[in-house]
Amino acid sequence: MFRLIGRHFKEAFQGIFRHFSSSLNSITAVTVTLLLVSLLTLIIGNVSQITRVLEDEVKIWVKIEDEIEEGEIPSLTRKVENVEGVAQVEFSDKDSELDRFISGFGEEGKLFEIYREDNPLSRAFIVSLREGFSISDVASRIEKVNGISEIDFGGVNTEEFLKLLNGIRQGGYIIVLALTLVAIFLIQNTINQTIFNRRLEISIMRQVGASNSYIRQPFVIEGIFIGLMGSILPVLATIFGYKYIYEAFQGKLVSGMLTLQPVYPFAFFVSGFLVIVGIVVGLIGSFLSVNKHLRWRR
Amino acid sequence: MVSLQNVSKSYKNGVNALNDITIDINDGEFVYIIGETGSGKSTFIKLLDGEEIPTKGRVEVNGINVGKLRFSKVPLYRRNIGVVFQDYRLIESKTVFENIAFALEVINKPRKEIRQRVREVLEIIDLSDKAKSFPSELSGGQQQRVTIGRAIANNPKLLIADEPTGNLDPERSNEIVELLEKINESGTTVIMVTHDINLVNKYRKRTIKFEYGHVVSDSKEGGYIAHV
Repeated sequence: MFRLIGRHFKEAFQGIFRHFSSSLNSITAVTVTLLLVSLLTLIIGNVSQITRVLEDEVKIWVKIEDEIEEGEIPSLTRKVENVEGVAQVEFSDKDSELDRFISGFGEEGKLFEIYREDNPLSRAFIVSLREGFSISDVASRIEKVNGISEIDFGGVNTEEFLKLLNGIRQGGYIIVLALTLVAIFLIQNTINQTIFNRRLEISIMRQVGASNSYIRQPFVIEGIFIGLMGSILPVLATIFGYKYIYEAFQGKLVSGMLTLQPVYPFAFFVSGFLVIVGIVVGLIGSFLSVNKHLRWRR
Repeated sequence: MVSLQNVSKSYKNGVNALNDITIDINDGEFVYIIGETGSGKSTFIKLLDGEEIPTKGRVEVNGINVGKLRFSKVPLYRRNIGVVFQDYRLIESKTVFENIAFALEVINKPRKEIRQRVREVLEIIDLSDKAKSFPSELSGGQQQRVTIGRAIANNPKLLIADEPTGNLDPERSNEIVELLEKINESGTTVIMVTHDINLVNKYRKRTIKFEYGHVVSDSKEGGYIAHV
């Protein structure tokens, strides 16, 4: 068994060094691809984080008509809860509404304490959304419920921003996928060259009855090795580059609300992902290429 | 040993390489296959080593229905047959010893067994003193003997030689045929494709002649006289 593995590794490395320029091209291509993948993954990871935070923050403030009796509140709550896209409904009475109002003004808010006795504010529901629902859609549906006087949410801006973030995320996934396919294609080319260089050996191997898996292995090892080599630089760039950026921004984006993913473990997860992508790309690329070659003859 | 029953082979491009061929070759026979280029000799070999599947009929070698072999079983089947080519196909970067050992390495024989068997083979092909030479340092006849050595390394029951003397002068050709005879005497069935009439007439064996994909003669006495 070890004898076998040793032989395959030897052949794989011979393959890499015999046509070093082609291997180097592939390694470079994988490196560039993985650098882009890394960049995109870092962006996607942070966008996801920001989206999550924002979605948690996004609440619809639903003002209840003053005519509604205290006893009707539970049934109204149920009605709002049954609206499509609503996750949770929290009732807030006049007092807590005033607290909220006052705290919104900070220190100066204390001035409004005089209204505590004769509170002009309305009772309200604080509604949180289920994931994947548009705020304005849900808001307009809630508005149709009888007994609701007014609705307020972060407005169109929040929603547009979330949409943008989702767009970035999805676009990112697609680009990562496309880049991976390109890398597979490039590795396939290199392996094709190895196969061409060693076609005599392959034909002899076939003639004397070497199994297909035996013939395939050195090439697959070579492909994996190219993938691994190609992932070294991107991994280093990811860890140190992200650390640098994180420190430069002090872990925040724009305001304190939008935090970046911490370097550890995030950058290490991304690195692991890059190594796996590198290996898988090498594996698939070489496998496809050898199989194509082994297929055209019995 | 080798049995073709009503075998036809036509290629996708419309060429009918073989038409309704029936041949039986027994264990331990030495058979010449002769015929012009394009007579179907090469297709015959490809059917035997499992590279091609017959369009019609049945090809059986050693009790195995070669045409029905699954893709994954073909390599295993090939370990039973040795093939020698006109163009030697030796690996230039490997020595004679390594070239022969290669055939055993790739089917995972233990190293000790390989070394022992390669020495035996070198003895048979009479190249023990050239074990460390590279193919480029050998004459054509010697290279062909290495190829034969590689083909018999795994003790195949059937040895197919495709124009083994095609690139050799008459004297070297005689050596090759004598080597094949020696291998045949030790029990291996030998099928030799050739168009060297002198050889066929000198070393008389059963001779099968192909013409336009048909078997036009099959003479046990051997020898060949041009009909035209």
